[in-house]
Amino acid sequence: MAPKFQIKVFQLSRFVKNFTIISVVTLSFLLIFFSKTDYYLISGIKNLSSSVIIPITRFISAPVNVFSNFIEEYNQFRSLKFENKILQEEIIRLKKWQTLAIQNSRENNVLKKLLNATDNNLTLVKTASLINRNDTIYSKLINLNAGYEDKIEKNMSAINERGLLGKVIDTTSNNSRVILLTDPNLSISVKSISDGIFSLISGSGDGKYLVSSFTKDNKMPRLGDIVVTSGTAQIFPVDLLVGKVAKVEKNRFFVLPFVDFKNIDYVQIVTSK
Amino acid sequence: MEFSKFFNSTIKLNIILIISFSISVNSFILLPNINNAFYVLFHLTFIYLIFYHYHYYLYLVALVYGILFDILLLNNIGAHIITFLFLLMLFVLLRKYLIRLSSYQIIFIYFITLIILLVIEQFLANLIHNYKFNISSIFNFILISLIIFIPTIFLFIKLDK
Repeated sequence: MAPKFQIKVFQLSRFVKNFTIISVVTLSFLLIFFSKTDYYLISGIKNLSSSVIIPITRFISAPVNVFSNFIEEYNQFRSLKFENKILQEEIIRLKKWQTLAIQNSRENNVLKKLLNATDNNLTLVKTASLINRNDTIYSKLINLNAGYEDKIEKNMSAINERGLLGKVIDTTSNNSRVILLTDPNLSISVKSISDGIFSLISGSGDGKYLVSSFTKDNKMPRLGDIVVTSGTAQIFPVDLLVGKVAKVEKNRFFVLPFVDFKNIDYVQIVTSK
Repeated sequence: MEFSKFFNSTIKLNIILIISFSISVNSFILLPNINNAFYVLFHLTFIYLIFYHYHYYLYLVALVYGILFDILLLNNIGAHIITFLFLLMLFVLLRKYLIRLSSYQIIFIYFITLIILLVIEQFLANLIHNYKFNISSIFNFILISLIIFIPTIFLFIKLDK
């Protein structure tokens, strides 16, 4: 017969209990204070959560992830026939565009040589893939599988094929965290392409639109105008595609981002040249 | 048999806490309500632990989960840690009154506490971290709470038996 488990309950004195409670409460308020002042202890905790806690939570939530992937595949399978028809039409249209694009590209290269212009203003640091995302409740954050070992640094810009995604806010050796444009705590300096109106925009909180918080000279861009990074804050490189003006009100305007934030697989981390 | 004795209800509830935390901090784009449901389940479990399994180790639990929720969901420490510790301290102050209540009254207070906790978190996230006070999100949490509250209570009671 196996010996019985006997768990000895360590009876602590009232003093130790009170001391623990007071320590926890004090520590919490100190952490809240340090969090506001960006103390290095907080950055250590953030790094620890990125490199240790996130992999553990991903492992625990793996069954739900499998289920989610299954639903996604089922949905894709269901719309296969319809998508195939659309793609066939798209191929025909793209073939026409391809011919035109090749001609334009040749012309562009010749004109660039004439003007002595550089190709673009971006340096690609790393292309990373998404490992997990925390953008359902409160903030809009994603985690990438590349960190400072891949030369990724804080405040670098994250883009994909459609335009600006956000910026890097934390890096560990192999992971980095990116705050998305749709987060209300990320402000970016932008300008409209047609009028050159400078403004500051940030996430509106609904995860869909970006809203202007400041517009230079109170000028409003036109509906449908394309908005790009202005490069004035020197965080984001200049002329990165952000979105299209979708709604204009008296004192503010709304921008619909070009990036589909629900479909992010790969992210490029870039800096200005 | 011996193993099941070792695996008491407090440990089981703590396992539920870990699982619900893990699922709520990993967003699933196709199933956003799964995140919300597990977020509500975490709060339900935590309140249950405080009400029926109070021990001072819960202060450490509140500290750890508060920090992790704040960092992973808000990128700053504040809203969750304050609400969890506030709830614990409030429970210690009101415990002598709560034990006089009937089981139905306790269940009602349990549900109200859950809703207030979720609202306070939203409020603090707005106050400290500049996240918009989202009414639709609150309604979503209330709806999820209404759906999962009774089955969760049954599950917890079964675990306690």
